[in-house]
Amino acid sequence: MGRESEKQKTGNAFIAALKKSNMTAMAMILIIMIIIASIVSPYFLNIYNLQSVLRDLAFVGMIGIGQSLLLLVGELDLSVGKIACLSGILTGMLMVNVGLNPWLCLALGLVFGLIFGLINGLIITRLRLNSMVATIGMQGVYGGINLVITKGKAVTGIPQDTQFLGKKSVGPIPIPFIICIVVLLVVLFIVKKTKTGRYIYAIGNSKEAAKILGIKVDRIRVMIYSFVGLISAMAGLLYVCRLGSAQTAIGEDWPMNSIAASVIGGVSLTGGVGNPAGALIGAAVITVIQNIIVLFGVNSYWQSAVSGIVVVLAISFSSISDIVRENRQKRIKLN
Amino acid sequence: MNILEAKNITKMFPGVIALDSVDIAFELGEIHAIIGENGAGKSTLIKCLTGVYEPEEGEILIGGKNAMKNKNLFNKIAYVPQEIDLFGYMSVAENLFIPYEKSGIKGTVNQKELEERAISVLEKFSIPVKPGDLVKDISISSQQLLQIARATVHEDYEVLMLDEPTTSLTSKDTEILFDIVKKIKKENKAIIFISHKLEEIFQLADVITVFRNGKKVAYSELKDVDNNWVIRQMTGRELDQNEYFYSEKISDEVLLEVNNLTGEYFTDVSFSLRKGEILGFSGLVGAGRSELMQAIFGYLPVYEGSVKFSGTEWKLGDTNYSVKNGFIYLPEERKKQGILPELSIRDNISVAVLDELKQGISISAKKEDQLAKKVIDTYEVKTPGTDKKIQFLSGGNQQKVIIGRAMACKPKLLVFDEPTKGIDVGTKTEIYRLMKKLAEEEQIGIIMISSEMEEIKKCSNRIIAMYEGKISGEFDATADKQSILGSIIGMNSVE
Repeated sequence: MGRESEKQKTGNAFIAALKKSNMTAMAMILIIMIIIASIVSPYFLNIYNLQSVLRDLAFVGMIGIGQSLLLLVGELDLSVGKIACLSGILTGMLMVNVGLNPWLCLALGLVFGLIFGLINGLIITRLRLNSMVATIGMQGVYGGINLVITKGKAVTGIPQDTQFLGKKSVGPIPIPFIICIVVLLVVLFIVKKTKTGRYIYAIGNSKEAAKILGIKVDRIRVMIYSFVGLISAMAGLLYVCRLGSAQTAIGEDWPMNSIAASVIGGVSLTGGVGNPAGALIGAAVITVIQNIIVLFGVNSYWQSAVSGIVVVLAISFSSISDIVRENRQKRIKLN
Repeated sequence: MNILEAKNITKMFPGVIALDSVDIAFELGEIHAIIGENGAGKSTLIKCLTGVYEPEEGEILIGGKNAMKNKNLFNKIAYVPQEIDLFGYMSVAENLFIPYEKSGIKGTVNQKELEERAISVLEKFSIPVKPGDLVKDISISSQQLLQIARATVHEDYEVLMLDEPTTSLTSKDTEILFDIVKKIKKENKAIIFISHKLEEIFQLADVITVFRNGKKVAYSELKDVDNNWVIRQMTGRELDQNEYFYSEKISDEVLLEVNNLTGEYFTDVSFSLRKGEILGFSGLVGAGRSELMQAIFGYLPVYEGSVKFSGTEWKLGDTNYSVKNGFIYLPEERKKQGILPELSIRDNISVAVLDELKQGISISAKKEDQLAKKVIDTYEVKTPGTDKKIQFLSGGNQQKVIIGRAMACKPKLLVFDEPTKGIDVGTKTEIYRLMKKLAEEEQIGIIMISSEMEEIKKCSNRIIAMYEGKISGEFDATADKQSILGSIIGMNSVE
């Protein structure tokens, strides 16, 4: 015990936070990033910039929170972007081409997302498919339907009275971000305080053990896929409201970003370990990086490479500090 | 000559001294058994002797040279771990010679040459497989033997270290293994044999070292000592060898009635179990006992037949239904199917009874903690707290947590599948006593699957023997070992 506490004294608070969880360490990195950004660029703390960061963050965050639930059971969904897009386009068409009540259309849009997620879940559990391969296939299907029904053209003319959902703020806080926080709170309650949430962790630790405990493993998996479909649709609809039109390009980088956000935030890819709140922190890291790159005026051709490098650095952060800690331990012992 | 020697080694972890000034030496041409309860320091010793851990104090000499200064010397120690770590999707021959550098294969790998070399090794070890077979397709017994064979093909080994090599071997394969080990001994190698099975140690080893609480407590030639001596040294107390654990309060009421059940690994099985009875299922690895129980439990499919539980028709194929109705299965594969490794002890227990831990619509952390503490107290789980991840407990303590979790579900029927696999003698007895208590006091019907004849005989009121998926005999507790053994290898059938 003596050795342990000595080490804590020599190590800084940072390592202590990391020991607790990856998520808290990432939160500290995020704060450091924000501090650096605000020192280096005079525009970062500008209220309009912050609002735009929060607005971007809301979409990756929402999808990331959903995705983290799937990662917790050891699976993932690569069709989230296309589900978001298809739900948005169908909703837009109902609003513009059919002329239904826009609020009813939004509600129907969420139902579409839920159904697409349900389809994913049923295919994967009933046919016993690998989630990654199955959802690569399904994103092709949903994306294809998008192109068939729109012929590649955007659905414009979304009614003004719903656009505020994507565009406006309550006080200084953009509405999509508020919705994202609500989603997080609901998910956190489910994960920490309900049976279903506990079963999610059990399944992620061992599907076999979970089944032997009498947990209805497949039913819970289908529920999560449906929920992720619903959340994707919600993000898609908000994005349509934000743009004022439904476009086939919506959500293209959401699958990868949502997975990266979860992993950055300490959710394990193999299941059973992590906290959905980490996904929001991870999403914030990604969004802030992208914002900084723009503020610094990095050549637009270089932007994707630079943000990729930073993401790789962020996920390797925890293992790098593990390596450093091991080496330090070795040195202490040898002396 | 001492080929491997540990001099006064001490290894510490935060809060514990895992090895306390241990001296031990191994000679060429000798089989040296190491025994001790779980947590006695055996695994730490192995890791020090194979160079995985560096002890804080003392030195390790291999062939008289300090191995801590020259790590290459550890190549002379061939270690065979307890769990199978072969490559399932590679051939038998490839598995034998990986890593190729150590097996004297340079440059490109010639598949044909590998397979030719493999043939003689497979013959030596009497492993009934072809060099080209994929490892995932061969039997568990063959895999275990292959793993030992692999350790001996590397050219420069002098010490063969076997960590509980017989846990998944049938008795026939165990004999084959022992013959091979004796052959290797004649080749003038040192053999270290780690086992919980006293019978095997007396059958095979020349000398024995006993560990308790991180200290070496005894060393002797085996011809000078007996079972009781070993147990006394291990546990620090006398253990009643003649203690029996069958239930003495069996109800007349039939709890479980299985009629002509057929599934993939078992055919036309019928038996019944009364409340408060302990029914033993004996058989070889692969006789279909686990699969039968898993099918009744709803984990595996049933093709034909029916089951009655307390007189009513039992729904098959639904583990949720089974658990809700008081049927709990405690799996043999504790690490894969029993524990939730990344979760705390508390979460591992509470997950089975969340409905009872609710406060309003949410789960009460306080109630969860109370339940976990109760389980830890009742079943004497050794742990610093309820927050500890279960994967860091010893096997025996994990098993106690799992039994505690099962009991929290208030079961009527418990199936223990190899409940003492990898568990030391002292803890084994605790588990037997617990089973007896559950049967007598709670009137739970207990089915115990075990491959250890001694254990089955000590604990069961009745014993059913299975052979190749069929019931091959039924005995009461007084039956002699020979006739049970005959049934499990298919020598005599019922009628």
